[in-house]
Amino acid sequence: MLQYTFRRTIAVLPTILCLIVICFFLMRLAPGGPFTSERPLPPAIMANVLERYGLDQPLYVQLFTYLKNIFFNFDFGPSFAQRDRDVNDIIAAGFPVTLTYGFWSAVFVLVLGIPLGVIAALRQNSFWDYVMTGFAIFSQIFPNFVLAPLMVLTFTLALGLLPGGGWNGGQWEYVVMPAVALGTSYLANVARITRSSLLEVLGSPYIRTARAKGLPERTIMIRHALKPTLLPVISYMSPVFVYMITGSVFIDVFFSTGGIGQSFIDAAYTRDYSVILGLAILYSVLTFVLNLAVDLAYAAIDPKVRSGLK
Amino acid sequence: MTNTQTTDSPENHPRTAFGARRQFEQAELAAAEEMITNRSFWADARRRFFKNRMAMIGCVFLLAIFLFAIFGGLFAQYNIEEIDWSLLGNVETEGGPRLDNGHWFGVDELGRDLYARVVQGTRVSLMVGFLAGVAAVLIGSCFGAIAGYYGGRTDQIIMAAYNITLSIPYIIFFVVWQAFFGRSVTQMILVMILINWTAGLLITRGQVMTLKNREFVDAARMMGLSDFKIIARHILPNMLWVIVIYTSITIPDAIMMESLVSFLGVGIQEPQTSWGALISEGASTMTYGTLWQLLFPALFFAVNQISLYYIGDGLRDALDPKER
Amino acid sequence: MTLLSVENLSIQFETPDGLVHAVNDVSFQIGRGETQALVGESGSGKSQIALSILGLLAKNARTSGKILYNGRDLLAMSTRELNKIRAKEIAMIFQDPMSSLNPYMTIERQLNESLELHEGLKGDAARQRVIEVMDAVQIPDAKNRLRSYPHEFSGGMRQRIVIAMALLCNPKLILADEPTTALDVTVQAQIMRLLEDIRRDFDTSILLITHDLGVVAGACEDTLVLYSGKVMERAGTRALFAEPQHPYTRGLLRAVPNIHDDDGELHAIPGQPPNTMRALTGCPFAPRCVDAVDACFATVPELTGETRQRACIRPVEELT
Repeated sequence: MLQYTFRRTIAVLPTILCLIVICFFLMRLAPGGPFTSERPLPPAIMANVLERYGLDQPLYVQLFTYLKNIFFNFDFGPSFAQRDRDVNDIIAAGFPVTLTYGFWSAVFVLVLGIPLGVIAALRQNSFWDYVMTGFAIFSQIFPNFVLAPLMVLTFTLALGLLPGGGWNGGQWEYVVMPAVALGTSYLANVARITRSSLLEVLGSPYIRTARAKGLPERTIMIRHALKPTLLPVISYMSPVFVYMITGSVFIDVFFSTGGIGQSFIDAAYTRDYSVILGLAILYSVLTFVLNLAVDLAYAAIDPKVRSGLK
Repeated sequence: MTNTQTTDSPENHPRTAFGARRQFEQAELAAAEEMITNRSFWADARRRFFKNRMAMIGCVFLLAIFLFAIFGGLFAQYNIEEIDWSLLGNVETEGGPRLDNGHWFGVDELGRDLYARVVQGTRVSLMVGFLAGVAAVLIGSCFGAIAGYYGGRTDQIIMAAYNITLSIPYIIFFVVWQAFFGRSVTQMILVMILINWTAGLLITRGQVMTLKNREFVDAARMMGLSDFKIIARHILPNMLWVIVIYTSITIPDAIMMESLVSFLGVGIQEPQTSWGALISEGASTMTYGTLWQLLFPALFFAVNQISLYYIGDGLRDALDPKER
Repeated sequence: MTLLSVENLSIQFETPDGLVHAVNDVSFQIGRGETQALVGESGSGKSQIALSILGLLAKNARTSGKILYNGRDLLAMSTRELNKIRAKEIAMIFQDPMSSLNPYMTIERQLNESLELHEGLKGDAARQRVIEVMDAVQIPDAKNRLRSYPHEFSGGMRQRIVIAMALLCNPKLILADEPTTALDVTVQAQIMRLLEDIRRDFDTSILLITHDLGVVAGACEDTLVLYSGKVMERAGTRALFAEPQHPYTRGLLRAVPNIHDDDGELHAIPGQPPNTMRALTGCPFAPRCVDAVDACFATVPELTGETRQRACIRPVEELT
């Protein structure tokens, strides 16, 4: 398992390196930069600024220095737009926030979605089955960027129950709405996948074998059906994580949580290249780590995959 | 021809002429005939689709939204940039939807006519969604067909590109691309195609893999047709239904994507607007009680998405052999 | 003494396209220590009969008739009552060893769970019994393979595991649904000998379901020939082979390749298996039967006869 993790990490490095190089050149070659603002700076000051950020060096030297700092010092360099902040500072301040409500969001999706799917499968065409279908349509009409304003409208402006934004050190009232708004779209899909997966498993020959042993239904569900039912849900989580990362950018902006998404969008406005680049790398690494976690979880359940890893 | 007629004639049945056996055979024949008429796949699918009530309601609403996008501008009393100075200071109290001053949907926080802006936003959102959606699926299924048909190294390269694309959160594309190239509707559509080029790729790849080993493709190959002709003439028509279904899924996805990035401000740029940008403006001012600024664009977005959802659902029911 | 008595069993399935008539009015008995064969093509409803005995039919199935086991009707039993009989009294050997084992559980867990449930055996005692049975079905190195998963075994080994699973609790009746189809001929013979040993040693009854007449010839006293869910002929196996009295049985026997046959040709039965979407209005085999007359299409033949029975309206002498 460890060896597999290691191999996967090695395998992803070229991809991330490619991403860094492409983004780096795109940024540097872009017309205009963080310092070509409304009022052009006097040439002497401009040269000063460029020297301070190492921008007067040839491009390949810049790239090399950049890569060296990332890999050896874990340093993404200074922000161009925010004079006294490093990209590392921005990540250190924002990443824990994004990670916190992202985690709760995933918990929310799985803890509600899987049981809902199970109930819908066991009681086909019952009330809960319709609730699930309703959810599926609901999430189509109300993706997070429509849902979030409506939630604030209801729970903050009308009912006054929850704060409409901010973070406040991650107090639970501040986490609820970001987590729910981020996750709801995927809840319905998780439920739907669980439902069809469970139905397929329950119709499979090995469940019939288990029935032929005289096992009670409960034991069959927990001992025989649970693991194979979860497999498609687990693989679905890897695109969900990718989508959630995009969603988190929106959540950070809308709820002003102070997460890294806000800095990412701000950087896009101010063309703060080092921040864009640093955060893009962070997001890619995060995606990779989450995907790896999904694969390992899959291998933990499926012995066939597990023996393939060795 | 005459041969078949004689075998069918009663004299040729040695033991019986008319009777229980005859009846039995006729019943079998009728059953077989029914199966043959079922073969006209598209006619059958069309019939099933038109029978699907929710899908038809969806079509009506979608048509209405299209008509609104095309002709809605004719009824606007203001253009999208014009600021109604008489309302600027008191948008909260006077800026709501009214018939007397021609602001059918009220005005936005800058005193611009919301009706005109919603027409404009609808145009942009639909255009981006439909153009990018259709183009992306076409590109995706072409790559899928190529990967599935040639297999081997080609397949590996395409699948690697597929996996990488899927594992990068799309917001990164937008932010990087926009920071570099700027923001216009054309740019928007291009990025959208770039991100969604994987739509329908996997399923067409799988389809082609199974189709390419079928007899009629073998026959075409033996007749000396080129690979391109085989794909275009014999394989693509047989998986048109997959492409149709995937397009119906990708379009609402693209519209949603566009809306999200426009909401974040890295999509369509002022004075151009889109549903997402309008919802964003509406959401930022809702604390002042100007709810119409949020609800009108959100309503259009929601009605559009649910219509497309049911149309897609109807198409899937009508076309997917597995669903039958 | 009769152990299991199936009386006028009919099974239908409700499908979106209509009612499928899988089994039509089938009756037979199995005595203690007897082996009864159920022979038919795929789709003749033979597996459904076995599943109905254990109450394992799909949800959309409708049954009528009776299945008496020691005088109690299995069809009328609740799942709770059936669970006491399953594996303990009546065990089933499923046909597809690839899919009838749970791929996500170790072999040991899949085997010892019925011991735990029915015999109260746990831990080392259960392990002892599992190894014993695995040895009995000749799985080599059983002790070290307990922690393996199904995909780590070959097809033949998996089939043996499925058989071991059925033997664990010493059931009174084993329903063997194509127990040897997945195996090559030498292994087939071994497995059949194994079943025969079990029958002799434990006085176990066996219902052997197969499409393979070769398997039946050596193993069963009594054979029931099914076509389209209907019994065509029932007779002692020896008599049936020596002197088949139903056109379908004759066709089946002729279709078996025989090295003693001079012409060396295969004689397939012409035509397609019947459409089970319609209720029977005549003999189901009539459309493919060389001896069919008009009346065959109009009346459903009764099963008649004493020691051996046949369902055909035409006298034996007139058949070709």
